[in-house]
Amino acid sequence: MSDLNTELKQMIIDALDLEDIDTSDIEDDAPLFIEGLGLDSIDALEIGLALQQRYGIKLKADSEETKAHFASINALAKLVQQHQTTNV
Amino acid sequence: MLDFRLEKWSAVAPGLTSEKDWSDWLNSRLYSADEDNIKTGLKKISPMLRRRFTKMGKVAAAALCGLELDENTPLVFASRHGDVDLTLSLLQNIASDQDLSPTGFSLAVHNAIAGLLSIAQKDTSSITSVAACQNMLPTALLEAAIQLQDFSKVVCLICDTPVPKIYQPYTESSDIPYAIALLLSRDVGTALKLSKNDSSAAILDETAPDYMQLLTLLLTNQSEVIFAEKNTSTHWKLQSI
Repeated sequence: MSDLNTELKQMIIDALDLEDIDTSDIEDDAPLFIEGLGLDSIDALEIGLALQQRYGIKLKADSEETKAHFASINALAKLVQQHQTTNV
Repeated sequence: MLDFRLEKWSAVAPGLTSEKDWSDWLNSRLYSADEDNIKTGLKKISPMLRRRFTKMGKVAAAALCGLELDENTPLVFASRHGDVDLTLSLLQNIASDQDLSPTGFSLAVHNAIAGLLSIAQKDTSSITSVAACQNMLPTALLEAAIQLQDFSKVVCLICDTPVPKIYQPYTESSDIPYAIALLLSRDVGTALKLSKNDSSAAILDETAPDYMQLLTLLLTNQSEVIFAEKNTSTHWKLQSI
């Protein structure tokens, strides 16, 4: 598991008060919303805010692209990496 | 004057759940800050929903769960200050030009706790939220008792928490985070009577706060309590008959 994936998992746990969940409980390629971790729309907004505060990434709330980025930890990690490469 | 019945009740604060806990507290005012009882009280609510409850919400949820309701029941939710810690933290974020937490924002309305509880209990019954300064507790009881005209049972959930330090010079608040859930009924349980107190002599500056008065009625053999408010001439009296 890459460090970025673990970092993102911890960010989600902290941002969403997932008290009973550990980074090892979240699978890299499992869905984050509805199925898998079972997050909801308020969580999506909260993750959006966390991504902006931590990585300076701004997303449009209702675009199809955003949906794809939020599919799993792997997808989020890819988004963060892309953002970091384009901004270096 | 209003007559109704109290079928059962449940009160929760950190470290205080059982009638014995509360009787001891009424005598000593000592309590532990240990919150294991609140965690246990919330076991029925799924973890993903549980995390949305703030500290006061957790106390309120534990008191409501303690009633062990077996059917959908209308709710009167009442708090004087509401989730004022949450409101303050949002205001501080605005003041320091930070983005607001969407979760915090969504929970910052007065009836948010009642809304979460309806989701947790899958109960689509009506919800009424009461916020009042003076006479908050008797006002909540009045609302719930009046709703017994429409429903055979109504839950009255009263909760408050000490206000943050910054507000303390400006208002009174409870000493502890507490919630009291009362199941009022048309025809089951202890008969209670709520009325205006006609004895004008009883202006009681030193009277205990409303929630303590209510607990006194529930836990001791005292058969009437007065909810006195400073600077008003209206006092309410609650009697068990």
